[in-house]
Amino acid sequence: MQKKVLLFFVCSFTIAQLFAQGQTIQFEKYTLPNGLKVILHEDHSAPVVAVTALYHVGSKNEDTARTGFAHFFEHLLFEGSENIKRGEFDKYITNAGGALNANTSQDRTFYYELLPSNQVDLGLWLESERMMHAKIEQIGVNTQREVVKEEKRQRMDNRPYGSFLTEMLKRAFKVHPYQWAPIGSMDHLNAAKLEEFIQFYKTFYVPNNCVLSIAGDFNKADVKQKIEAYFGPIQKGANVIPRPTIQEPALGREVRDVIQDNIQLPGVFQAYRAPKQGGDEYYAFNVLSTILSGGESSRMNKTLVDKKQQAVAAQSAPFFNEDEGLFITLAIANMGVKIEALELSMDSIVNDLKTDLVGEREFQKVKNQITTQIVTSNGTMAGIAESLANNEVYFGDANLINTELDKYNKVTRQDVLNVAKKYLNKDNRVVLYYVPKEKSTTK
Amino acid sequence: MKKQIYIALLLLPIVSMAQTIDRSKAPAPGKAPLIQIGNPVKFTLANGMQVFVVKNTKLPRVTASLAFDYDGFAEGDKAGVAEMAGQLLKRGTTTKSKAQLDEAVEFLGGTMSTSSQSAAVSALKSNFPALMSLMAEVVLQPALANDELEKIRKQTLSGIESSKDDADAISGNVVKKLVYGASHPYGEMMTTKTVNSITINDVKSFLSTYWKPNMAYLVFVGDIEPAVAKDLAEKSFGSWAKGTATKQNFVKPALPNQTYVAIIDRPASVQSVVTIATTVDLLPGSSNVIAGSVMNNILGGGFSGRLFANLREKHAFTYGAYSNLNPSRQVGIFEASASVRNEKTDSSVQELLREINIILNEKVGDAELSRMKNYLSGGFARSLENPATIAGFALKIAQNNLPADYYQKYLTNLAAVDAQKVQDAGKALLNTSKMHIVIVGNAKQIAKGLDKYGPVKYFDIEGNEIAAPTEAKADASLTPAVLIQKVVAAAGGKEAITAIKDLQLKGTASVMGQSLDVKQTIIMPGNAVSVMSMGGMAIMKQSVVNGKYSVNQQGMEAPITDELKEGLDEAAVIIPEQTYLAKGYKLKIVGAEKVDGKDAIDMEVTTPSGKVSHRFYDATSFLLVKTAVSQEVPGQGTVTQQQYYKAYKLVNGIQIASEEVMDMGQMKINIKYTDMKANQGLKVTDLK
Repeated sequence: MQKKVLLFFVCSFTIAQLFAQGQTIQFEKYTLPNGLKVILHEDHSAPVVAVTALYHVGSKNEDTARTGFAHFFEHLLFEGSENIKRGEFDKYITNAGGALNANTSQDRTFYYELLPSNQVDLGLWLESERMMHAKIEQIGVNTQREVVKEEKRQRMDNRPYGSFLTEMLKRAFKVHPYQWAPIGSMDHLNAAKLEEFIQFYKTFYVPNNCVLSIAGDFNKADVKQKIEAYFGPIQKGANVIPRPTIQEPALGREVRDVIQDNIQLPGVFQAYRAPKQGGDEYYAFNVLSTILSGGESSRMNKTLVDKKQQAVAAQSAPFFNEDEGLFITLAIANMGVKIEALELSMDSIVNDLKTDLVGEREFQKVKNQITTQIVTSNGTMAGIAESLANNEVYFGDANLINTELDKYNKVTRQDVLNVAKKYLNKDNRVVLYYVPKEKSTTK
Repeated sequence: MKKQIYIALLLLPIVSMAQTIDRSKAPAPGKAPLIQIGNPVKFTLANGMQVFVVKNTKLPRVTASLAFDYDGFAEGDKAGVAEMAGQLLKRGTTTKSKAQLDEAVEFLGGTMSTSSQSAAVSALKSNFPALMSLMAEVVLQPALANDELEKIRKQTLSGIESSKDDADAISGNVVKKLVYGASHPYGEMMTTKTVNSITINDVKSFLSTYWKPNMAYLVFVGDIEPAVAKDLAEKSFGSWAKGTATKQNFVKPALPNQTYVAIIDRPASVQSVVTIATTVDLLPGSSNVIAGSVMNNILGGGFSGRLFANLREKHAFTYGAYSNLNPSRQVGIFEASASVRNEKTDSSVQELLREINIILNEKVGDAELSRMKNYLSGGFARSLENPATIAGFALKIAQNNLPADYYQKYLTNLAAVDAQKVQDAGKALLNTSKMHIVIVGNAKQIAKGLDKYGPVKYFDIEGNEIAAPTEAKADASLTPAVLIQKVVAAAGGKEAITAIKDLQLKGTASVMGQSLDVKQTIIMPGNAVSVMSMGGMAIMKQSVVNGKYSVNQQGMEAPITDELKEGLDEAAVIIPEQTYLAKGYKLKIVGAEKVDGKDAIDMEVTTPSGKVSHRFYDATSFLLVKTAVSQEVPGQGTVTQQQYYKAYKLVNGIQIASEEVMDMGQMKINIKYTDMKANQGLKVTDLK
C-alpha cells in the first residue's frame, strides 16, 4: 500500500471529478447529533461499496513551525486503535479482498476503503475506530516518521522535477499557509512531541470535522442503523477548529529561479496566481486550461510537442484550492532545445489567449471535452463518494455533482479572454527553470 | 399527548442500545454477494469479424475496441515494426492530417488509441457514431506518411538510448531473450539497428499481412443497443474484404538443461536486479490456472507475499520482492524478482530459490490459503464495477475457447482450491533445477559464490553470450613513487609540463541531448577557472585566482571548505600527479580494474584533508583513464561518481584528454573539447 501526498497532477484529476454531472446522482444527506455529516449513494449495479471519510484538515491548518502534520496523520492513522492492533488496519481490508488508501491536500485529508459489498460493516468499523480512539503513541510516531521520510525521498527528492510544487509554493505565497506543500518539513516532524500529535488528533479528527460518504451496493436502512451504532457514540470535538483567514497580497512582480535536479531534460514551470475554487472565474479557468492542454489537439500539445517539437511533454494544470489558486503551465524540453526558446513559445501561446477570442469551433470542442469528462467521472463508486464529500465540504453543496455542468455551460469566450487578461500576466507569476544537476569538473 | 412524546424520547436511547455492536472485533461479513456476469450479444459480419456487445447503461458512454487475435509477431531484423505501425495508424488518414484527425476526435469529446493489434474509441453516446466512422477511417484508410514515421522513429530511438542505462530495462530485455529464445517472437528485442532498418513499406506490409477482418473482434461496451451496434459495425467495417489469416505457430522454447546463472555486467550498479524465470505450460482456462494463481500470490503477490516478508521485512535486502505467473496460448512464464543491494546478491538468490522450493514441497497453511482466496475473490468482485471487465471476459472466452460460464464459475472454482491443489499446480508448473537466474549488476562485486546455483555465463545488454570478464592484473612490484614517474613521463615529461604557462580548453558538454558550453583555463602558477554555461548563462563557475577560491552555482556561492580548496588547487596544476608527494598526499596502489576493456592500475589517493579518491592509469600507456569518488548522498546511499578520460591529444608536447565522460549513475555528461591551446600568453587579469 502506498499512501501519498496529493500532488497537483493527482489534483487535476480531482478537478475532473468535480466536473460531475451527466445523469442525476441520487443521494441522501444527514447529520448525526455529534456533527458527523453522512452522505449515502445507493447503487446496486456491481457488488462493490466505497466507504470514505473526508476530514476538513489539510496542510493549511498547520502551525508554521509544525508543517507536515496533516499528511503525517494520514500515515499515523493506519497504525491502529483501541481495538485494532498495530499494523492490522491494512490487513483487515486486504484479507477481505478490499483495497484502501488515503491522500492529503492543502485543504483536506481523505481516507477510503473499497470493498466487496458484503463487507460494508468492516469499512464502518475501521473508520469509526480511527475517529473514536486511534492510537497516538510514540512507537507509531517513530515508525511513520521514517516511512514519511522515505516517501519524501522517493516522491520528491529522487523523482525528476519532484520538488517543483514545494519550490513553486514557497515563491508564490509569502504569508498564506499555502506556502508549504503537504509533505512539510522533516525537521518539524522530528521536533514535535507526542502531546502535540495527540492535540492535533483531538482538534481535527472529530465527527464535526468529517464527512462520511458511502457509495455502492448496500441497503440504506441497514447501513444507517450501523452508522448510528458505530459513529453515534463518538464525542463531538471540544476544541475550536482553527481555519486560516489570512489574505495573500498580490505577487506584484515576476519571480524567477533556476533549480538543479537529477534530471536529463530541462523543464520550464510557470505558476500564475489565480482565484480560489468555485467562483465563475474558476470555471472559466478550467475551460482555458482545456484549451491549452486538453488532448492532442490542444494548443500546447499541438504547437510545442508536435509542430515545433520543442517539448517532449507540455501541460497546464489548474491548482485551485479553498482560499487561493495557482494556474500552472509546464513543458519539458526536447533534446537539444534551449530552455529560453521553449519559454518564449509557451508565452506566445498564453499571449494569444489574452489578445484574441477563442474560435467558435475550438470553444465548442473544449465544451464537448469537458462534458465527456464530467459524465465519465461518475463511473466508479469511489469517484462518486469523493465528489459528493468534496462538494459538501468546500461548497456546502453535495448536489453540485448534479449541477456543475450548468456552471460550465455559462462560461463564454469573453469570460476566457477576461481571466486570461486579468491573471496571466508576468508580474503575477513565478517561473522556475529545472536544469540537470552539475558536478565538479575539476580533475 | 405530552406524555407520549416523553415516552418516545425515552425510547430513543433504548432503540440505539438495541443497535449496540461489539466493537472489540471486526464485524462478520454479510452473505457473499451474488455475482451475475451477463452474457454479451454476439454476431459475426460476413467478412468474418466477430462482434460482441456488452450493454451497460450506467453512464451514457460507449467504447468500441477492435482487437486482432494474434499472440505476437515474428519480426526478426525488423523488430519494432509492429509497435511503430500501431503508433503510426492514428497519425493521419488519406483525407486528414494528424492535426485534423486529433481535432476531429476531440471535437466529439472522444478519445482514440491504436496499437500493433488494436484500435479503440470512446465517447458519449450522442457522439459515438461519428467517432466510430473516424475509427474506420483510421483502420481502413490510414495515411502512413513518411514524416510521421520519422517522428515515431526519433522517439523510439531515444527510448532505446535511455533504456541502455536502465538496469530494469536491460533485465527485462535479456530475461525475455534467454527464457523464450532469440528466435521466438517473445524473445525478440528492438535495437537501434532494427528500428533504423524499418521503412514505410515494412509498416504497410505488416498491416496488410495481419490486419484482417476475419482475425478481428469488435467489442462494444456501454450505453448502446445491440441492433445499433450491429448497424455501426456493418457501416464501419462491413466493406472490409476478408483476407487469408496468417497462421502463427511459434516453436515452443525448451527449458535449459540445468539451472544456470546469467550475469549482465553493469559496473555502475549499486543494486543487482535478480530474476529467476522459467517458461510454464499454462494454457488459459486449464485446470492449473486458478490454483497456480493462488500459489503465485501466496509466494510473491504484493506486500503480503512470502517473498516480500522474507527479502524485505525479515532480511531488508530490498525494497520489494515479487513473483508473477502468466498463462498464455503460446507459452506462459513465471518470474520471481527483486532489486537487491550488491553485497546481498548471493543471499537473495538463495532466499528466492528457498521460498520457491518451500511452496513446491510444503503444503500452504489453512489460514494463509483462506486469506488469499478472500483476497482474490474480493478483487474479482470489485473488478466487475468496470464494464470493460465483462467485455474482457467475453474476449478471453472466445479467444481461448473457454466454457461460456468460465467466469461465472470462477468464484466457485476458486473456493474449491485446497492446499493439495496449490502444491500440485506448483509442481506441475515449476522445476527449480531448470531455471534461468538472470542478474544485472556489478559482476566484479557480485559474481563470487553464484556458481553454486549452476554454471555462470555472461551476456551483453542485448542478450548475446560473451566471455567472462577477465581479472585485470597489476604489476605487483609497482610502488606509488614509480607509478607517478611513469605517469608524468607518459603525459609528456617534466620538461614539457613545466614549459606550459597557460592552458585553455573549450568545448561542449552534452547531458542527454542538452548542450552546455564548457571552458577551462589554467594559468601557472596556481590559477584556474572552469565554467559551464547554457545559452550564455553560467550554471556553474569554479575558480582559484591569486589564492582566492570561489565555487558558484547559479549565482549562489558555496562555502569554501579545505576539501574544495584542495580540489581547486589540483585543478590549477597541469598534471596534478607531479605535486602529490610534495603536498603530502597519501598514495596506495590497491589493485587493477578493467576500464573500457583494458587493464588499468588503481591508485587510491588520500588528500591531507582526508578525501579519498581513486585514479586509474592504463597499464601500458600510463595515461589517466578514470577517476572515481564515492560519497554519501541523502536518500540514495553511497553514490560513486566516475569520470573517464579518452581521446588523448598532444598539446605543446603534453597529453590532454579531449573527451571526458562523467558518469553519476542516473546521469551521464559527455564533454568534448574542440579547442585546446597552450601558451597563448593569457594573464591572470584576463580571468574573470
